[in-house]
Amino acid sequence: MAKKRLIFTLLYKNGNYMLSRNFRLQKVGNLEWLNKHYNFQNIAFSIDELIVLNVEDPEKRDLVEFSKDLRSLSKFCFIPIAVGGGINSMDDANLLLHSGADKLVLNTAFYSNKKLIKELIQHYGKQNIVSSIDFKRLDGENIVLVNNGLTRIEFSLKEHIDSVCELGAGEIYLNSIDKDGTGQGYELDIFDEVTLNLNTSLICAGGAGKYEHFLEGINKSYIDGVATANLFNFLGNGLQKSREFLIDNKVNMAKWHNRLEHELKNILRINNE
Amino acid sequence: MLVSIVDYGMGNILSITNALEYLGVDVILTYKETELRNSDKIILPGVGSFRVAMQNLKERKLDVILNELVMKEHKDILGICLGMQLFASGSDEDGFSEGLGWFSSVVKNMSDKLDDNVKVPHIGFESIETTKKSILYKDIRNHSDFYFVHSFSMENIYDEITSTYNIGNTSIVASIEKDNIFGVQFHPEKSQDNGLRLLKNFLQK
Amino acid sequence: MDKKIFRCKNCLNVSTRDRVEFDERGFCNACQWVEEKKKKVDWKSRWNELEEICEQHRGQGDGFDCIVPVSGGKDGSYVSYMLKHKLGMNPLAVTIRVPLSDPLGDENLTNFIDSGYSHVLLSPNMEIMREMNINGFKKFGRPMVGWQTFVHSAIRRLAIQYKIPLIFFGENGDVEYGGSSESKNTPLVDVSFSKNTYLSGTYDEILPIDKFSEKEIFWATFPSEEEIEKHEVKYLHWSYFENWDPYEHYLVAKEHCGLLEKENGNDGTYTNFAQTDSVLYSLHTYLMYIKLGFNRCTQDCGIDIRRGAMTREQGLQLVRIYDNHYPSEFMGEFLKYYKMTQDEFDLIIDRHANKDIFEKINSRWMPKYEIE
Repeated sequence: MAKKRLIFTLLYKNGNYMLSRNFRLQKVGNLEWLNKHYNFQNIAFSIDELIVLNVEDPEKRDLVEFSKDLRSLSKFCFIPIAVGGGINSMDDANLLLHSGADKLVLNTAFYSNKKLIKELIQHYGKQNIVSSIDFKRLDGENIVLVNNGLTRIEFSLKEHIDSVCELGAGEIYLNSIDKDGTGQGYELDIFDEVTLNLNTSLICAGGAGKYEHFLEGINKSYIDGVATANLFNFLGNGLQKSREFLIDNKVNMAKWHNRLEHELKNILRINNE
Repeated sequence: MLVSIVDYGMGNILSITNALEYLGVDVILTYKETELRNSDKIILPGVGSFRVAMQNLKERKLDVILNELVMKEHKDILGICLGMQLFASGSDEDGFSEGLGWFSSVVKNMSDKLDDNVKVPHIGFESIETTKKSILYKDIRNHSDFYFVHSFSMENIYDEITSTYNIGNTSIVASIEKDNIFGVQFHPEKSQDNGLRLLKNFLQK
Repeated sequence: MDKKIFRCKNCLNVSTRDRVEFDERGFCNACQWVEEKKKKVDWKSRWNELEEICEQHRGQGDGFDCIVPVSGGKDGSYVSYMLKHKLGMNPLAVTIRVPLSDPLGDENLTNFIDSGYSHVLLSPNMEIMREMNINGFKKFGRPMVGWQTFVHSAIRRLAIQYKIPLIFFGENGDVEYGGSSESKNTPLVDVSFSKNTYLSGTYDEILPIDKFSEKEIFWATFPSEEEIEKHEVKYLHWSYFENWDPYEHYLVAKEHCGLLEKENGNDGTYTNFAQTDSVLYSLHTYLMYIKLGFNRCTQDCGIDIRRGAMTREQGLQLVRIYDNHYPSEFMGEFLKYYKMTQDEFDLIIDRHANKDIFEKINSRWMPKYEIE
């Protein structure tokens, strides 16, 4: 079986990286801040995958600027990178895939632009298309919101999950708006309910604040990856410690060495000189 | 050292380029015969549909060019993911599509041989078991982790397998090799230092 | 080694904090209280006490039956919301006008009021408040203590004036965040608690009796014990009756009272939803920092660690980045408000800096200690 994955999500808006609390955003810092406080090149060794989402208001999104940051982020990141946020056309997809994205994340399109989804799957293969679903609880029901969490759709969470699977999503990124940024842990009760008979790779998100939350999520058999977008709680060595914690608790995670810089950087140029 | 990445409109070129540049080689993305010939090594990337990939290769006459460079002139080539699968005689995706035919293997949908409850596409890090000595795995421990993301796998291949991984009791081909031709089902450019080390081994061969 | 400062083994609270106490594990009293709250406190019984008090006073008198001091922030909004919607009371929300108010703070206050509350903006003579703030700043390193005084004095005066029997303060800061735990089993905030704990005994020395007459400073003065007893005004801590959970209040205020956050974050910390009403607060916390060694980030980490959203180790990373924040961005406004030059201002900072734990390097006070 594939190892379980620890995933870090970055929320990008207009050159800055954001912290989200129930989908209300706080500016944290730009790429320089990220490099300084996360030592990004080292962070990449603690996680299995990076997700970068453009959470700018739809009218203001600038994919070209975004793709510049993406290139910078991906330069020393030798793990899969999934990118999304306002992908509306094959051209958008193409730009992102040529700027460092390995996989595409789509949300609203799975509801209102199924033609694009089908085209993307046909062209790039379903394994590279991730369906991101944002949900919250309202009056006892699990409702789904698209368009940066602004527009409710008529389907229930379970119905929408079935729908995206049917369309051919390779993976699902399931995110709880209620738990988002709270540090209260994942919405596991709801995940338990809506993922019965789910046969698609699942990443859970929304609510992780500390290492134990990752463990709670990752120990569920139907969860393949646990994600956090909490830029504050895992600063410094937080992600490294998280990974160690999971491995110490017998979670089956990929293992690799960390001291890459010294050994492999430019090794072929040095050898040839 | 100059490494060429075959440009046929498919594959995560930037990721591979980043990895190669990190290791300290010069990289060129090209479909031109002279440029491919002038490079020291060739990488065939690939992500997506087998049929579309072969169509794109044929459009640029790359099937002929690569055949010449690899089979006749014995240039070292590394196929990654779909790139490796293209080395086969064909794939049964959408009926049957012909491949480059350098191996007599066939590419088939993994769901056919896996239990129903196994999720396909198969996505994530897996520990591979090296089954045969290969320069690719020099200084890499057995059971090291690499990143896989695929729905199809190589079948009808035996001696040329250099590593496999298991999903339950089912064995899946992870890498193949024959003389100057190397193929990996996983993405070394996405497999942290294990992958970088493997790329280095291929390049230093 | 004799350490001048150490931190709670659980939540990073500093030992230099006024009245804070530690147990043999090195856990501060706020953390011990969290444990106690889970196991020993009979919340049902305490909530019943609250219901009885409300029952006794509901609809009493001509109009409002309770006062809630508010700023438009999460805690006052939450308490008001609960009193009105869960306990059927008729609260009067009262704001003591704050100097150098932040536009977001103003917006939040308006949003709160507009979500359905009767409200009084109590504006003392701002010059009197300024004198008290200046006195507090110079003598005690407490730049907002004048404003803080009015929260305790004027509100009591207002309650007597309007014959409102109950005043609901938010949390008992000492018990919830670190300090003396003496008062954990009583909701009552008597005048001496106000003066000694909240105002740290500064009251008598900052009252500007040299510049203003007794009648002018009426609102800055406390009613006598007799008056309070006669009018039966009770000043109570909400945190006695219900488990105090600031993050929960933030969620409720966000949902029901129109609370907005600072998109660019609050300086000196990683949260953006607390204390956004006045830029003076940054100076208040900076003084707290150089006197005692902890700033907003330590406080926020303490809250998050104690509610289980973060570990001490994680908090440490944040404290190292955010605690040492010097509010230079508001310096112009501070100098104007306190009627000082930069040199005079710097001298006051220097006077109050705790030299056991800080040293001046390149005109900025830097911690001598390792944050661990």
